[in-house]
Amino acid sequence: MSTQPALAVETVDAAVTLKDGSTRNSTASVRRRGERYNWPLTLLLVLASVSVLVPLYVTVVMAFKTTAQAVDGNAFSLPAPFSIDGFVEAWSLTDFPRSFTISILVTAGTVIGSVLLGAMASFAISRNWNRRLFKWSFFYLLAALFIPFPVVALPQIQLTGLVHLDNPLGVTILHIIFQLSFSILLFTAFLRSIPAELEESARIDGASTWQTFWRLIFPLLAPMSATVGIFAFLASWNDFMMPSLITSDPSLQTLPVVQNIFQTQFSNNYNVSFASYLMAMAPAIVVYLFTQRWVMEGVTQGAVKG
Amino acid sequence: MSRRPRRTHRVLASLIGLALACSTLVGCSSGSSPEQVRFYLSKPEAIPYFRDLIKSYNASQGDVEVVLDSSANLQAGFLRGNPPDLGLLNYNLEMGRFMERGALSDLSDMPEADRILPEVQDLVDQYATYPGRTSVLPYSVMAASVIYNKQIFDDQGIDVPKTYDDLIAACDKLQTAGITPFYATLKDPWTVAQGWFDYTVGGQVDVASFYDGMRDEGTAVGPDSDVSFQKAMLEPTTTMQMFVEKYANKDAASKGYGDGNLAFGKEEAAMYLQGPWALGEIAKSAPDLKLGTFPLPMTDDPKDLRVRVNIDLAAWIPEASSHKEAARKFLTHLFQKDVMDAYNAAQLGYGTTTDSAPVTDDRIVGMKEYFDSGRFYQGPSQAVPLNIPMANYIQSIALGADVKQTLAVLDADWARLALRR
Repeated sequence: MSTQPALAVETVDAAVTLKDGSTRNSTASVRRRGERYNWPLTLLLVLASVSVLVPLYVTVVMAFKTTAQAVDGNAFSLPAPFSIDGFVEAWSLTDFPRSFTISILVTAGTVIGSVLLGAMASFAISRNWNRRLFKWSFFYLLAALFIPFPVVALPQIQLTGLVHLDNPLGVTILHIIFQLSFSILLFTAFLRSIPAELEESARIDGASTWQTFWRLIFPLLAPMSATVGIFAFLASWNDFMMPSLITSDPSLQTLPVVQNIFQTQFSNNYNVSFASYLMAMAPAIVVYLFTQRWVMEGVTQGAVKG
Repeated sequence: MSRRPRRTHRVLASLIGLALACSTLVGCSSGSSPEQVRFYLSKPEAIPYFRDLIKSYNASQGDVEVVLDSSANLQAGFLRGNPPDLGLLNYNLEMGRFMERGALSDLSDMPEADRILPEVQDLVDQYATYPGRTSVLPYSVMAASVIYNKQIFDDQGIDVPKTYDDLIAACDKLQTAGITPFYATLKDPWTVAQGWFDYTVGGQVDVASFYDGMRDEGTAVGPDSDVSFQKAMLEPTTTMQMFVEKYANKDAASKGYGDGNLAFGKEEAAMYLQGPWALGEIAKSAPDLKLGTFPLPMTDDPKDLRVRVNIDLAAWIPEASSHKEAARKFLTHLFQKDVMDAYNAAQLGYGTTTDSAPVTDDRIVGMKEYFDSGRFYQGPSQAVPLNIPMANYIQSIALGADVKQTLAVLDADWARLALRR
């Protein structure tokens, strides 16, 4: 324990809490014992955080520069005349409120859909593992992991066009489907660790299958739901290719696709594009910070109940 | 207890129902009284101009409502059967494929088609044709040649070179004065292909007939065929390699397009092989720099001087569009003389019609006499399908690879691709 770096103290704290059940002074005791720091590891972590913070710094600084300063070749310089023109232009060029709302709707739909559908399918599969149909449907769903979207893009474009799903709803559905195999992989692994006795006792109390799932299993799945949700969020929020190919109405396009107009061969508008990227990044960062914490809480919660 | 799940069922069922209803409604939402025309334009610099134009056009009449679309994916649109009703974008080999397959409607009966300069309309046919149709109307042409710093040329007493020997003399003179003659940005393959390769080849080879010959040879292209890259382009590409080695900045390999614009704005070199699109970028950091353009001389005869052109914007209406008439109305509006002239003046483009206003911008007026007399060619690097990584081959030549060997690889690629088609 004493060789743990300072950054890991929080985690150690949680683990100690679990083992002996006492919550007091465990942090302090770890610190007292571990005055020595693991410098190589600390250095590595510093490098890792710098690799995240430097691009973030450049993004923020660039966003507030004027066009002339943005192309002067000094990425690290502070904005000399502090300008918000980049934001103003990005806002109007991307029609920000509209494309932002669509991105939010698609992403929210994907997250909710992935979690619900993934959890239900995994529950059915893991509780009927001995039946051939369920077992093979699991393999069938997993096989989809090997199929990237570009391979099936053309038929998908035609199919969605035929059934009038060439809009954000179609994108949401496809996002859920393409996320499904990974969600099921995560959920089934987690479901195996939940003892069957819990379900049996619920049955004895008179719960139907639906009630067992909804009132017992789904809450227990919360930490894994958070993980699945984060993956689904990132995949859906950052996706460029699928919405750009599937959505036909330009006014229903998501943010990453609309932002594509900033990237051209012939012109560099770093300040406008970075302002726009910053606005698009904000929710991802906020959601990540928020859910990351929740995952930590969820892990300990699940462990206690198990 | 037993009522709860049923409520959840009901909520779920109604959610699914709502989703389905929404999806069908979205599909049928068009068809209201003013006919909607989806207008596809992907050139970001041009969007503000056309956005204002659309606004005033929509306000001026009630039959057609134009909607600007700058994010559509054309391949997906054509595949799905609902491409944009009117496209105005860069015309190249890839776009030519749509035309070749008859996906674009015939516009030859429109009066606008008669106003297009015949030699400009010929450029369209160099990539692909469809029997009996004029499906693509050029809107703006970009002429590109050597961009030079007028101040440096004046200070050194150098006149615009008209022959190859003049050019070498000018380069040597600049170098003796401690000035880098050319600024090269070899990190970006497209800049090497667009500038270094196209100008050196275009100044020496008849590009259109060369590619006609290449298409005729097809699978036979190789070391023994009559027409081949290794035969026709050996000399110009060797010259190109020499230029880069001898007269360009030494750190060219690590410089990209953005670096080049910045460095040229800082007067770090006298000449820059870029198109007019770079002029606006240079002006971002050096708005007062005096710049001019001249075609790169590659022979000893000034009559061989030619400028590189590309169809920067061309208009077309897809066969699959259900609003062809409305799209034609807006096309007529777009092709009005003053609308075209204003666009070309703002974007440093050359007009494509017989009645278009002459260019006046100091920076591109140097190419006027060549453009007006039809002495231009389409970039040879643009006539090769994207399946062949042409720009990367050229980049490797510029970085010192064996010229003959690389051109032989290019020939082999060409023959293989011809076999596949």
